[in-house]
Amino acid sequence: MIDLRNVSKRFGGMTVIDRVNLSVEEGEFIVFVGPSGCGKSTLLRMIAGLEDISSGDLWIGGERMTDAEPYDRGVAMVFQSYALYPHMTVAENMGFALRIQGVGAAERRRMVEAAATKLHLDHLLDRKPAALSGGQRQRVAIGRAIVRDPKVFLFDEPLSNLDAELRVQMRIEIARLHQSLSNTMVYVTHDQTEAMTLADRIVVLRAGRIEQVGRPTDLYDDPDNIFVAGFIGSPRMNFLPGVATGPASIRVAGVDVQVPGLGTRLAREQAVQVGLRPEHLTAPEGVELPLAIEVVEQLGAMAYVHGSLAPEAPVVAEWRAGRPSVGERVPLRFHPRDLRLFDPEGRRIR
Amino acid sequence: MARRVIGQAERRFAALVLLPAAGLLLVFRIVPLIWGFVLSFTNSDGLGQADWVGLANYRGVVTDQAFRDSLVNTVLVLATLPIWILLPMLLALLIHQGVPGGRFFRAVYFLPAVLSSVIVGSIFNVVLRFDGSLNAALKAIGLSPVDWLGNGGTALASLVAVHLWSTFGMSVLIFLAGLSTINQEMLEAAKLDGAKFWARLRFIVIPTLRPIIEFVAVVTTIGLLTGMFGLIYVLTAGGPGTSTTLPEFLIWLEQGKLNRPGYAAAISAVLFALMAGVAWAQVRIMSRNAEL
Repeated sequence: MIDLRNVSKRFGGMTVIDRVNLSVEEGEFIVFVGPSGCGKSTLLRMIAGLEDISSGDLWIGGERMTDAEPYDRGVAMVFQSYALYPHMTVAENMGFALRIQGVGAAERRRMVEAAATKLHLDHLLDRKPAALSGGQRQRVAIGRAIVRDPKVFLFDEPLSNLDAELRVQMRIEIARLHQSLSNTMVYVTHDQTEAMTLADRIVVLRAGRIEQVGRPTDLYDDPDNIFVAGFIGSPRMNFLPGVATGPASIRVAGVDVQVPGLGTRLAREQAVQVGLRPEHLTAPEGVELPLAIEVVEQLGAMAYVHGSLAPEAPVVAEWRAGRPSVGERVPLRFHPRDLRLFDPEGRRIR
Repeated sequence: MARRVIGQAERRFAALVLLPAAGLLLVFRIVPLIWGFVLSFTNSDGLGQADWVGLANYRGVVTDQAFRDSLVNTVLVLATLPIWILLPMLLALLIHQGVPGGRFFRAVYFLPAVLSSVIVGSIFNVVLRFDGSLNAALKAIGLSPVDWLGNGGTALASLVAVHLWSTFGMSVLIFLAGLSTINQEMLEAAKLDGAKFWARLRFIVIPTLRPIIEFVAVVTTIGLLTGMFGLIYVLTAGGPGTSTTLPEFLIWLEQGKLNRPGYAAAISAVLFALMAGVAWAQVRIMSRNAEL
């Protein structure tokens, strides 16, 4: 449905999107994630036609759209600020694109009402945006996109302005909407919970380049590099300095560990970064590392305990047994199959 | 208790700061206003004893042909209001769209606004008089010269054009300020909705600029009613006949030339009522926009 071929964006001498290649299948829900300034919103706006493409090609639905006007691309976009027209009612906002297309008033009203029913907005059609709550405004913005029946929906951090509870609710609504409409959706967020729960595939961006594309669980379980490993997952993966002691063995935090299933033979004394997720540090059995608890984040059903296994090697572990307390020394245990190895440049060692 | 003491001190300080301005307002605005209103019921000639004449001055104003002409002129001037709004709005839109040299144009448009009306009048006296540079240019291309300021059919239009030239830069700036507040994402949403330039202008930009348009309309109206004296004085002195006489200029004629302060005060009171009407409309518009 969407093909980005070697697409770049340059502002003056600065390259903000660097030779991006990506294919989005029809009906797929793709999420762009990455730190602030990584270019995810710029890439979305390039698909929408709101930013020029400096080089490369964009194809939508089998047609070359690199230089097409935004309204000719068959895309609809939901903005972070909702971008509703304040002087129009909800019905007028939702029906504006149809009005521009020359759809008659009666047909327009019918189509707007159909979309409004889907989004539980039918009782608000005659209100102006100023008289709506944040969640209602966001639903109107989504409704405005639905009415056009676009080939592609683009979402630019649509839930960022909502409070936590409403965000969860709207996230579920967007997931339902995708199931019922089956349109292609491209969604930008910095919230990895949104990315993990909504995406068919996640695109992780850094400094204008794609770091990895894959299903959420693939990115979580099998990251290609230390950036993706650290970016996906909350709390983030722990990284400890280690050194190879053999072709498939390492020493980390003073403990020797045999690494199972390693395809690469490690060179003796080779420096490595050892990645361990917080939930993998409380295995019932496995390699044991003693930890003096420095901070406890108690969440009720579980706690996150913070400490250091070595100088400059802070660790956080997910703790579900009992109530840990600060100053306590506890054994962290992990299974060697759960650790991920990275070379000093951050590339994954598989 | 402590808070109340501080509050009282703050109130006292605020009163102290406000007092000089309030005093000046009272002495130079309120008192002359009341005095002028009282004067309008007398036959004062500014020299000797003034006698109470009741509504005689007002009856005179109603039947005064010069005053009627000045009102007709006012209506004609106000009829040009759409130009005063559309021209700066269009220029502001072009500058906002990023035409090459936009900053330069913005400065050039605003420059005349810092010149006094006497200077502007003097400049255009050279340009518009019968042997002026405009007619020289017309002659050069084979057209007949026009007595722009001496002809009753063109004098008022010439005055309005000069006033427009000298003041529209301010409106351009106001529109530019208004345009900069329009949510860019809203315009992008309209683009994605299929609205091309003119559709975006009609359905999004102009409705969003409505408070600014209304503000410019009100300020321009007030400017037309009260700010053209200098130009009239320098360029036409109200003539030929009464073709460029506006109420403001008539007041000065009655007061300064014909030595009839009582009668001039009556015209002032009528003009004040007109202005109060505009101010009332302004307050209504502003409060309605505030509710949006």
